[in-house]
Amino acid sequence: MAQPLVKKDDDRDDEGTSLTLASRSEFPFHFLFNFRFRFCKLPNQPFVRQISWFYAISISILLDLADYSPFLGIEKGAVLQEARVFNDPQLDARRCSQVITKLLYLLNQGETFTKIEATEVFFAVTKLFQSRDIGLRRMVYLMIKEISPSADEVIIVTSSLMKDMNSKTDMYRANAIRVLCRITDGTLLTQIERYLKQAIVDKNPVVASAALVSGIHLLQTNPEIVKRWSNEVQEAVQSRAALVQFHALALLHQIRQNDRLAVSKLVTSLTRGTVRSPLAQCLLIRYTSQVIRESGGNNQTGDRPFYDYLESCLRHKAEMVIFEAAKAITELTGVTNRELTPAITVLQLFLSSSKPVLRFAAVRTLNKVAMTHPMAVTNCNIDMESLIGDPNRSIATLAITTLLKTGNESSVDRLMKQITNFMSDIADEFKIVVVEAIRSLCLKFPLKYRSLMNFLSNILREEGGFEYKKAIVDSIVILISDIPDAKESGLLHLCEFIEDCEFTYLSTQILHFLGIEGPKTSDPSKYIRYIYNRVHLENATVRAAAVSTLAKFGALVDSLKPRIFILLRRCLFDSDDEVRDRATLYLNTLGGDGAVVETDKDVKEFLFGSLDIPFVNLETSLKNYEPSEEPFDINSVPREVKSQPLAEKKAPGKKQPAGAPPSGPPSTVDAYEKLLSSIPEFSSFGKLFKSSAPVELTEAETEYAVNAVKHIFDSHVVFQYNCTNTIPEQLLENVTVIVDGSDAEEFSEVATKPLRTLPYDTPGQTFVAFEKPEGVPAVGKFSNTLRFIVKEVDPSMGEAEDDGVEDEYQLEDLEVVAADYMLKVPVSNFRNAWESMDPDGERVDEYGLGPRESLAEAVSAVINLLGMQPCEGTEVVPNNSRSHTCLLSGVYIGNVKVLVRLSLGIDNSKEVAMKLAVRSDDENVSDAIHEIVASG
Amino acid sequence: MGLWEAFLNWLRSLFFKQEMELSLIGLQNAGKTSLVNVVATGGYSEDMIPTVGFNMKKVTKGNVTIKLWDLGGQPRFRSMWERYCRSVSAIVYVVDAADPDNLSTSRSELHDLLSKPSLSSIPLLVLGNKIDKPGALSKQALTDEMGLKSIENREVCCFMISCKNSTNIDSVIEWLVKHSKSKS
Repeated sequence: MAQPLVKKDDDRDDEGTSLTLASRSEFPFHFLFNFRFRFCKLPNQPFVRQISWFYAISISILLDLADYSPFLGIEKGAVLQEARVFNDPQLDARRCSQVITKLLYLLNQGETFTKIEATEVFFAVTKLFQSRDIGLRRMVYLMIKEISPSADEVIIVTSSLMKDMNSKTDMYRANAIRVLCRITDGTLLTQIERYLKQAIVDKNPVVASAALVSGIHLLQTNPEIVKRWSNEVQEAVQSRAALVQFHALALLHQIRQNDRLAVSKLVTSLTRGTVRSPLAQCLLIRYTSQVIRESGGNNQTGDRPFYDYLESCLRHKAEMVIFEAAKAITELTGVTNRELTPAITVLQLFLSSSKPVLRFAAVRTLNKVAMTHPMAVTNCNIDMESLIGDPNRSIATLAITTLLKTGNESSVDRLMKQITNFMSDIADEFKIVVVEAIRSLCLKFPLKYRSLMNFLSNILREEGGFEYKKAIVDSIVILISDIPDAKESGLLHLCEFIEDCEFTYLSTQILHFLGIEGPKTSDPSKYIRYIYNRVHLENATVRAAAVSTLAKFGALVDSLKPRIFILLRRCLFDSDDEVRDRATLYLNTLGGDGAVVETDKDVKEFLFGSLDIPFVNLETSLKNYEPSEEPFDINSVPREVKSQPLAEKKAPGKKQPAGAPPSGPPSTVDAYEKLLSSIPEFSSFGKLFKSSAPVELTEAETEYAVNAVKHIFDSHVVFQYNCTNTIPEQLLENVTVIVDGSDAEEFSEVATKPLRTLPYDTPGQTFVAFEKPEGVPAVGKFSNTLRFIVKEVDPSMGEAEDDGVEDEYQLEDLEVVAADYMLKVPVSNFRNAWESMDPDGERVDEYGLGPRESLAEAVSAVINLLGMQPCEGTEVVPNNSRSHTCLLSGVYIGNVKVLVRLSLGIDNSKEVAMKLAVRSDDENVSDAIHEIVASG
Repeated sequence: MGLWEAFLNWLRSLFFKQEMELSLIGLQNAGKTSLVNVVATGGYSEDMIPTVGFNMKKVTKGNVTIKLWDLGGQPRFRSMWERYCRSVSAIVYVVDAADPDNLSTSRSELHDLLSKPSLSSIPLLVLGNKIDKPGALSKQALTDEMGLKSIENREVCCFMISCKNSTNIDSVIEWLVKHSKSKS
């Protein structure tokens, strides 16, 4: 309920700090409309005409009086005292209205009333039904709705409301309907349904609107009743009254929203032009774009359905309709330049409008368009340049960030200067917009990093909230990792920032980052001062982080080691346990005496290696650990990520739903490698080359859920089967997968590792290993059968019976394909990488791919076949293009780097032809790639 | 002095109307809303729907304007009666005299209500309705059944009426009007 007043603040923001008479006359009532529209869509918040009116009045009063509010100094206790006038035998209607206004004000300020207070006020207000004063009655309705006492008390006004609902006074009818629908329950609703249906087609628009809006709310709770009103609502859509049409359309759409065909029909019939109300037209545009989205784009002739309608709305006389249509067009999926042009043109006109709200709306939309179609927006650049000086800072910010997205390298410096001028005037959330724009700009023009990095470091020093500072720090970190030249200066900026940083979270993040990046720089020693200052000046959390960072420097930079030791020894006297503990730990691991020696590999691993155990498991294990002689063994922590225990779900014993959370360890190569090397049978296989994504071998909702991960080694392949038992009454033992590799001649099974037990809902893994010729990308198909011993379990007791039955369960086939031998490895600059490869090793050939649905489909098919990493965003094929070049990179088994350049063309009969150029360090590999494509 | 005041009162009654506020309570189907209709318009209808909540009616009799709070008699409303009885001129409690089964409930609800401190010394008018029906209780029997004799510290009066036949309605109005005068 505080929204509207926040809204007010926004508006004032738009107007800048100085309210002039001119700008006040331009008070953006669109916002109010907009707000009301949104308001009506919230299920629990009634769309209250009176409320909006009340706000509109109070907002305009507030704007007029700028500094003075008539509600100044209203206090709950006093108002509750005043509310006693409701009980006077001789009612003063005017005074009662004033008191209710104050009560409503308090409620909307977020003031809470205790249950007793609310009940007292409510019953006192109900006594005001005796007054015949229309204004007072209106406030009574509002008050009942706002104070909303408990259901068994509010029912006391039912009879009075039902009387008013059939009153001759239109205002009574309309408002009684709204309140009644708010407080009603299903049984009462059937009693009053007849009246509501009548009210929908009432000739008074206020009454009809009230009934329609009530319908929108009731649809949430009693859909089957409201759906019976379709005929009346349909009639109301044809109403001459703008508001009725608007509300009727909204309700009609909500009634039908789950029926795609019905919505489509609704839009088709209404776009032919019976909708007059601008608000309804806006709604219709939204529904239309929804239909367009769902109908899935272009039809045969290449025209988008309903585009003509949207385009015609651009010529509507109401600005809100024009804007809505332009926005809808820009948001169409895969919008073409031809479609976009008219929308951009009207937005460009709005940019030079005298109304701030229009300028704001237009520039915000253009800002979004600039992300996807920067070229389309360049036409508006001149208009946006002039908006940089707009008195409204939000407009200026959006204009400048849009320009940054569309501009070229030469204009960057000028724009940066202009941003710097007003950065301190805008709110944090817009500052974040600027920071994000700068970040993407810097990635786009790496050469400009110096000025952009300077800008970031300058704003980092200024005042700002956490989110804003975090955005800046994140940006700097990203720039450091993407632009090697920026590293040193970026790190120094971060160091300066933590010298005076009030956010513990950011300090620790930066210290961690420094620990990783700092030692690798040319002069690591210069960071030590900043880090060690933290140990003196900050809170315990930051001090502990600083100690860790120091230790990392000591471990990586051997020359610094003695000095780091001195610092770490000082930390031993810290007042905080954690800091002392860390210092002690690092002093010992780094090797006691502090001489200039090379750090042990194990120590490095300990300091920099990532903990591959799920934190949840570690936490539970530590909790379960009871202090004893035996030290805690980290290897005993289970590595599987447990899915949510089924018992906690609503229906116990139900099978795991489709798309259950992936079981098994996290699919990072690191984790897999650790897991596999911990199994003695596989430890001799050497380095893991690649692990595939899990492949489901069972249908969803089956008794046992199994998926498989293919691990590729130089001369071995290991299948990891992640099994989950979803039957609470069963315990599986000795689970193995019997793999029939008779179709895969080059493979021979060498080892299996069965799973000893598989209790209900605890994922487990079983492995099967195959040998294959070294370095050869052998392919083949394997059929799998799960074999196990079933033991019955009494779920209530949780104990398994002693004897089990052997059983089998058929799984789907698993295939090893060529893509499994290819690692997706991106290259940062494809052209450089391509040029640096030996042109003699290049193999070029042409292929016909046959008829394809589209070029995009053909591209993704080839990418999937090769399993390579698309570079520079070339996997995206622009709509309607006839030819496309796609760049791929990867590492083939044997650690051979491979680059592929695909050129595809499509002709009118949808035949796709492809030219494949492959470069790699090994000609055989290049040939192998061609073989893959030729056989695929 | 006394004469002067009497004269002033007479003058006031000529120019200003007197007001009184009543709340009508009693179990469901006792005839409260019917009574309101009979007092207000003189009409009677067999076909009534239960009152959900309350009805507010203003009736003018002579120079007295009576505000009537006609409250629903269903159990879910009974806890709220008290709120509408505070500071009224009189509480009118309607009993279905032809329904002996509910008399004990009616009595306990009445006594519960009157035990509330906020309602002390407000005059009570008990009306035994539906005497047109066969088997209706007599006034004496009703007084005994309702335990009216045990009510202390307030004025209690009892009439036997029939809304259907408008029996005794006049004396009810007369009592009310007189009561408003005596109070002011």
